[in-house]
Amino acid sequence: MTMHTKLPDEFRCAVTLGVDFDGPSHEVGRGIAPLGTHSWGRYSARCGIPRHIEMLARQGVPCTFFVPGYDAQCHPDTVRAIDAAGFEVAAHGYLHEAWDLGAEEETRLLRRTDEILRDLLGKPVLGWRSPSGRKTANTMRVLKALGYLYDSSDKDYDLPYRLRFGEAGEDCILELPNNTYSLDDFPFFKFSFTPPSEVLAQWKSEFDAIYASDRFMVLTVHPRSGWGSGTPARTWILEQMISYMKEHAGVRFFSSGQFARWCIDHPQHLEEVRVP
Amino acid sequence: MKPYPWPGDTRCVVFVSVNFDAEAFDLKTTTEDRLYGRFSYGRYGVRAGLPRLLKMLERRSIAATAFVTASDATRHPEAIHALRDAGHEIASRGADLTPLTELKDKELDALREGRDVLARIAGRPPRGFRAPGGELGPRSLALLAELGFAYDSSFQDDDHPYVIAPTGSTRLAELPTVQALDDSFAFSARHTHARVMKIWREEFDALYRENCLVPLTLHLRGDVGSTRAARIAALEELLAYMASRPGVRFMTGGQLADLALASTASAEDDPLAPHAATLAITPYRGDLAVKPI
Repeated sequence: MTMHTKLPDEFRCAVTLGVDFDGPSHEVGRGIAPLGTHSWGRYSARCGIPRHIEMLARQGVPCTFFVPGYDAQCHPDTVRAIDAAGFEVAAHGYLHEAWDLGAEEETRLLRRTDEILRDLLGKPVLGWRSPSGRKTANTMRVLKALGYLYDSSDKDYDLPYRLRFGEAGEDCILELPNNTYSLDDFPFFKFSFTPPSEVLAQWKSEFDAIYASDRFMVLTVHPRSGWGSGTPARTWILEQMISYMKEHAGVRFFSSGQFARWCIDHPQHLEEVRVP
Repeated sequence: MKPYPWPGDTRCVVFVSVNFDAEAFDLKTTTEDRLYGRFSYGRYGVRAGLPRLLKMLERRSIAATAFVTASDATRHPEAIHALRDAGHEIASRGADLTPLTELKDKELDALREGRDVLARIAGRPPRGFRAPGGELGPRSLALLAELGFAYDSSFQDDDHPYVIAPTGSTRLAELPTVQALDDSFAFSARHTHARVMKIWREEFDALYRENCLVPLTLHLRGDVGSTRAARIAALEELLAYMASRPGVRFMTGGQLADLALASTASAEDDPLAPHAATLAITPYRGDLAVKPI
């Protein structure tokens, strides 16, 4: 009989916040010079990340920053500052590869970014989120071989689960699914140009429904300018959102790494899924 | 966040900029003999829009900066005179709206033409530049400095002005803008003007709280611009609200550039340099974007 993931009563709702660094890698990876209107990624290290760190520290909540390897090379001090402020640094591609990669190249890039982040921070990287959401069966094998605990890229469920990718006992990785249509900033700021206050209302409504049902909230923002949330008005709604969630009884904030660890330590709560 | 040394008791500076983009914009997709019908929204901006905008800015005592192509200025010298005579700054937007990245070895000539045509019509050379489509080529900043420009306003990467040294011996102020405060995107999305003003008020309130630059980017055009009567009225209300907040000051691009260039902050190196090697080996994938289903 399939066991469905069910979170324990000890916390009413788990929240993981993610900031996808998306600096100049986003443009450079597509062969575009990060100049003029293409300089949104420069905003991440200059303004967005410092503003997010300050706000998150003020709110006293953990957060995971998903960092492309190239951005870490360009802005090592910013990545060190994220770590020094007590936030988790996880991997997010090398040049924010938003296109299909062959297994060989993908493996090389996953290893390269892992090495960059590990060298920079002197500690193992625990997780990965796909830039653009592309992922293959190979991805999980490589992540697992690198010692990663979790992936946060799949869109197929509302709760964490154990994702099985092979026959061996250890051929499993913890999946923290996300949703880049609803629980993300960029659709609102790239496509619909929604006023920040309406984005806040939308996220609150998402949270209300999650709080009443699945009890697992994964919210993702980007610290860049343009379609990101690094700017004052959008960081402000993120702060309002965090305050709103904190007001609810039993809400517990985790970094993705902390929550992955909790899930792994409590396997009795988790569904195991094999794809396909 | 890092504080910016605004002068005196100024807490926040509003930079009202106007992308003139009249026929020069329509000519990106059609030809001279077809500047009628749907391709006449640019002409609307000059015939109906500009007089209305000028009157409103006069009522609010705001000096703006208009970025104009040589092509539009040549077609509408009287509009340039009206802007100048009303105390607004005339700055350059290139020869026409062809992206600088497409000009290759013609880029210097185009930038020079943009400068010289405005100098002839307005009576003084422009000090500022905003790239057509916001697209800068690898040499653009150095060429602008070489041509005597004091500032560029094409980047979207900071909350405050800063200074770039495109070459070892030149300095150029950068006045970064922000897409959320550009009318053309919200109006392209067919938002009502009430909704656009809602966005802008929220953006302004937050920028004001953090003592940032408020770079408002307006267009004259009748389609995605801000000069229709109802939009001007909504905009005037917003500008009055901004002006009512303590410590808010309106400055032109030239004034902001003077402030930045007089600061003791060190100039930043060419922003392209750290990426040049990677770009040289990276194929172009600019057409790769998440599109709505």
